[in-house]
Amino acid sequence: MALLQISEPGQSAAPHQHRLAVGIDLGTTNSLVATVRSGEASTLPDMQGNHSTPSVVRYSKDRVCVGNAAAMHAITDPKNTIVSVKRFMGRGVADLHVLGKKLPYDFVDSDAAVPRIRTVRGEVSATEISAEILRYLKARAVNVLGGDLTGAVITVPAYFDDAQRQATKDAARLAGINVLRLLNEPTAAAVAYGLDTGKEGVIAVYDLGGGTFDISILRLNKGVFEVLATGGDSALGGDDFDHKIAEWILQQAGVAADTSELDASTVRLLMQQARAAKEALAVAEQVEIKISNDSLSWQGSLSRSQMNELLDAMIKQTILACRRTLRDADVAIEDISEVVMVGGSTRVLRVREKVGEFFAREPLVSIDPDKVVAVGAALQADVLAGNRPGEDMLLLDIIPLSLGLETMGGLVEKIIQRNTPIPVAKAQDFTTYKDGQTAMAIHVVQGERDLVSDCRSLARFELRGFPPHVAGAARIRVTFQIDADGLLVVSAREQNSGVEASVDVKPSYGLSDSEVETMLRDSMTHAQDDMQLRALREQQVEGERVLAALDAALAVDADLLSEKEREAIDAARASLVETNVGNDAEAIKAAIKMLEASCDEFVARRMNNSIKQAMRGHSIDEYARHNEE
Amino acid sequence: MSNELLTRNFYQLFDMPVAYEIDMDHLQQHYRNLAQSVHPDKFASAGDQERRISMQQTSWINKAFQTLKDPIERAVYLLQLKGVDVRLENETTMDAAFLMQQMELREALEGVHTQTDPLAFLDMELAKVKSAMQGLSREFSAAYQADAVDEAKECLRKMQFMQKARKEIDTLMAKIEDELF
Repeated sequence: MALLQISEPGQSAAPHQHRLAVGIDLGTTNSLVATVRSGEASTLPDMQGNHSTPSVVRYSKDRVCVGNAAAMHAITDPKNTIVSVKRFMGRGVADLHVLGKKLPYDFVDSDAAVPRIRTVRGEVSATEISAEILRYLKARAVNVLGGDLTGAVITVPAYFDDAQRQATKDAARLAGINVLRLLNEPTAAAVAYGLDTGKEGVIAVYDLGGGTFDISILRLNKGVFEVLATGGDSALGGDDFDHKIAEWILQQAGVAADTSELDASTVRLLMQQARAAKEALAVAEQVEIKISNDSLSWQGSLSRSQMNELLDAMIKQTILACRRTLRDADVAIEDISEVVMVGGSTRVLRVREKVGEFFAREPLVSIDPDKVVAVGAALQADVLAGNRPGEDMLLLDIIPLSLGLETMGGLVEKIIQRNTPIPVAKAQDFTTYKDGQTAMAIHVVQGERDLVSDCRSLARFELRGFPPHVAGAARIRVTFQIDADGLLVVSAREQNSGVEASVDVKPSYGLSDSEVETMLRDSMTHAQDDMQLRALREQQVEGERVLAALDAALAVDADLLSEKEREAIDAARASLVETNVGNDAEAIKAAIKMLEASCDEFVARRMNNSIKQAMRGHSIDEYARHNEE
Repeated sequence: MSNELLTRNFYQLFDMPVAYEIDMDHLQQHYRNLAQSVHPDKFASAGDQERRISMQQTSWINKAFQTLKDPIERAVYLLQLKGVDVRLENETTMDAAFLMQQMELREALEGVHTQTDPLAFLDMELAKVKSAMQGLSREFSAAYQADAVDEAKECLRKMQFMQKARKEIDTLMAKIEDELF
């Protein structure tokens, strides 16, 4: 019975021997590895002297490359070059509905619950892609430090749920890394800040990265870092700023489209330009933007105040999270002694301005917002590896989202409230609702809402074979154990008979294993939703295919159409474009039919044309064969 | 490292007298000290068994800390120490004036949208609820001290009401914040 989940066996080295341990900041946009040498924590550079590595993985036929070498191909080979993979960690197919349309990848249309991307090197999951980044960083550390690693502390957004944490830990295992601890990013930043300044009191860490946002309130006291409350959004970050700016550029360029309708390399180009503009506006008041490739050409300028307007709604969302988290921590704004800014996106001046306004104090930006998380993780890794005996540093972290069980009527009974210190174990008794019931389905969920359907489903398992009782007489004790990494193990036991069942809540990368696959599908989403979503995705893909084919045909043979015919086709095309981004599979199907009908004559004429052309240089035999196809 | 720690009650754990009024600084200080000695981070390279015990002990300490820190959970725990299990009872008797107050509060909350500054209004209501909670805490403490179990239970029920109100205010605040956004 897996009541207790125990991490990799620690290695027992001789005392006084310095053990090599690193901290890894596995970021949405950039990743870093750091270590402590001669008491000083610092990030490790690659051979070219770069400390920060783009979190980009490119799959080509003969090899996999990571970092700058991969990022160079982001525009030319978008389908095989995966960026911001962190956004998919621990996410199911259903989540793609939200994320997928912005992305240029070929998602495998299969029964898999875990999304997989088709590349020239085969299908890969987010966990496997992340493992490549971790493997790359590990190799750098081994190379620079000249020895094998005892282990690593890997950071995760504080607001990551259990599935996202598990996926991260699995990625590390795939990369052959012994995980000493999963550490929350803002907590890591607080460690770096606290040990550096030696200050005490209550601090707020505002961490806005490429794809995630965290706000943590901590109390620093004599080397103890106690997290009081944490909040945030695991799907909001600088990437979203870039998207907003990219959409603005499209609007200015008079392209009545969103990024989902452009080809993959144009999207990448657009995103790069948007990002460059955002970064330039951290210094300049105004920036010139020039984009030109085959499908998009625009030149113009964006001012800082224009950009602020674009970003304000998202920034406000982060401020609201700050407000709530302060309330959760039961801390007043006046009690906060420092606001520490972390993450590359805090370079956006508007972010600093709004955060400063809310906390009524100048936020601290003197520490490098890109490196501070990795440095904090390295300090913790050094402690965990046993290199600092007598050190009184201790991190007391909490669980970011409540954990509970489904009860009658699709309601959630919370077992562990959010912001509870970890590790923690809690048990609650449940009973049967029917006479003679001998089994019970346990459905574990995470989230704050009252309805199961509004929470994240983590796992389902069954407790079977306990003796029948009258309704309400059985006593089923369900125990939740969360370890120091924030990972959950649930067990259930019928108290009268001692029948037990348990489950490690563990979405897995083991996709070749169909058993795991099925378990995962059951645990991540309701099967029916999956089916509906799959049907929708299929139609959307078909819609995209029809549009692409039509556009290609128009590019070559538009002169075959009269003005009136062209108008009819354009109208039908516009209708499909609009329908295709919606979520009604039937409507998309109908729009495709309509567009195809409007193109009948056009298609016939093109066929005649191509037959004529073909006949000019080819034998009648070939024509006959062509015609049969 | 023995598991003797797990047999101590929460007050013994933090070396505090069994009473409702507690010294919060003392509690926090002892919590940190205990965590320093048993937390899994201190046993990262130890054997399986030691790490398992470390997790059990830290889980126990965290639960104890959470219980004593929270005014309602602390009250429930104190009554449990006296052999009274409050959670299993569903008595609803309550004094009429208190119920009336509660109804007025609920009505005020329902009308939050008619307020010119709904968030400021909710902040104010929250402050009122917090101060009412403090009053009830003092009443509970006195009743408990005097061994008046029924009175203490009545107080606890009222505190639970107030906590529910507090949660409703929190939910409303979140909702209004969303709307404003």
